[in-house]
Amino acid sequence: MSQRKRSKGLGCSQLLDGEDDSIPTQVERRSQEQLNQKVSELVQFLLVKDQKKIPIKRADILKNIIREYRDAYSEIIRRADRTLQEVFGLQLVEIDAKRHIYILINNLPCAEGEQLCRDKEKEKMGLLLVILSFIFMKGNSVKDSALWEFLHLLRVYPGKQHSVFGDVRKLVAEEFVRQKYLETTAIPLTDPPEFKYQWGPRAEKETSKKDVLNFVAKMQGKDPKFWASQYSEANKATT
Amino acid sequence: MSHDGNSGESPPASRRRRSRPPQAQERAAEEEAAEEEAAEEEAAGERLRQLSVGDGDDREHNRMIRSQYRQLISTVQQNREAMLNSRSNRLTEALEEANRLFDGVCRAREAALDAHFLVIASNIGKEKASELHSEMSAFDSTAFAEDLLTFMGINRTEVEETDESEDVPGGFLPTDAWQTIGEEAPKYFRRAPTFHYMMGSFKSEPPVPKQRIERQKKASRGKAERAMPAQLKKMEESHQEATEKEVERILRILQTHFEDDPNTPISFFDFVIDPNSFARTVENVFHVSFLTRDGLAKIKLDEDKLPVIEPIKPSEGGEEDSRAAARNQVVISLNQKEWKEIIETFQIREAMITPPYQATEEEMETE
Repeated sequence: MSQRKRSKGLGCSQLLDGEDDSIPTQVERRSQEQLNQKVSELVQFLLVKDQKKIPIKRADILKNIIREYRDAYSEIIRRADRTLQEVFGLQLVEIDAKRHIYILINNLPCAEGEQLCRDKEKEKMGLLLVILSFIFMKGNSVKDSALWEFLHLLRVYPGKQHSVFGDVRKLVAEEFVRQKYLETTAIPLTDPPEFKYQWGPRAEKETSKKDVLNFVAKMQGKDPKFWASQYSEANKATT
Repeated sequence: MSHDGNSGESPPASRRRRSRPPQAQERAAEEEAAEEEAAEEEAAGERLRQLSVGDGDDREHNRMIRSQYRQLISTVQQNREAMLNSRSNRLTEALEEANRLFDGVCRAREAALDAHFLVIASNIGKEKASELHSEMSAFDSTAFAEDLLTFMGINRTEVEETDESEDVPGGFLPTDAWQTIGEEAPKYFRRAPTFHYMMGSFKSEPPVPKQRIERQKKASRGKAERAMPAQLKKMEESHQEATEKEVERILRILQTHFEDDPNTPISFFDFVIDPNSFARTVENVFHVSFLTRDGLAKIKLDEDKLPVIEPIKPSEGGEEDSRAAARNQVVISLNQKEWKEIIETFQIREAMITPPYQATEEEMETE
């Protein structure tokens, strides 16, 4: 009885492997086959939902896949994560513990010469990497105007249609933000209102300050230690 | 609420100025703030000594102060970028201006405007301070941008003509510039490859029901059309055959009777009238008229002025007679009363033209 209460109080991310044997009867009520079926459905669902890189909400998972198996939710999620890791080399990560939003990230290091993304995606990732580097090197937060001033130097203009990216303002301010690569907040007491950009939770998981600093160093042909404070901050994050 | 500032305490705005803005921790900003505080304290002290202002006299004065404050606030907001520039002293100048204005403030209304200005100024101060912090390891974004362009394969020998030539470094950027960066970028991300079905996915139901409905409509239409011609043909046949057959039959009867008595024309009434049925009498007259029209029989008046009918033999000098006969048109009218009278007068007992369905029997009997 007490075990049942305990598992209800826990979020999905807190069920550990050690509790497999002691899982209360509500899970045992469902047969193993039924659970495995749900796990497979969830894995497929997550793979398809991840196509646009928009984070997946727990509410959607419950409504479309879990349905009447709500009581076994955490068990199903845990098994799905394990399947994703062991079969696909991907990982299911909860980026917002309050609102319960998930993303898929790659568990394996990126091997050289791999062609896993399409060209369009790669170009967007190039732009994203440039933006993330700029934000980090400028102290983890930049004003909207400062960012566009910088992109201006790279021939990318918010008002003008770009030959590769199209409506760049929309790409940066909407798509990257919706995918949680970037986060935008309003600066208080500004008139007209101004915004600032920071790293989003997906960026925090998919890359690191150290990697980004290495990118900057590579581009500029310098040692990462050249930027002392950024270097110490990057190393602090990884340890 | 008291409107005059004649309280013994210092106005709330200057009290706030004494406490430091929480985020301004950097030494340079602290020094600035410290200087201002010192100036402020002096001014506040002076004002305390000068408190002796009456309400009604300074309405005009207060209005002017308010408008100056508003102007100051809008100037600061619009020139925010200029104020943030670390090399400019504009923020300090604005603060000094506000100080000066505050000297004339004696009521809460103007003091509120002063407080509003203070909040804005301290925000700008905070931003300036944070910019100081990030420049500790100076990051030259312009140099970074140029290095990126170099990596993307910019050709600096060719100068491209652009409108915005001031900030943008000259050079020709190739079309695959971002692809070059795109090749490098994925190495820095642990991005999950997207999942797509190899053969694509299928779409939902095609409009099959519509086709079925169309086919059904066509089928039913076809059947209806087929039904029509069959019926029409039958009707037409019956009409034509009936009349023609009847006329031929009557001609045969006439010829048969005439053979018995070759030179005596038959009384018209004897021939056509059927004592048993008026309707059949009318029919007989109708059919006989065809015979006369076609020139197969002729009707003429005998010595008693009674009509007689005889068949025309084709060889018998028929041309002149038929032409003469053809020129005459006669309309015979016969009602039931007359029909009965004729039957009585001529004592017609039986019909010479037998009714169609009795034809075979009668013909056999007469023979």
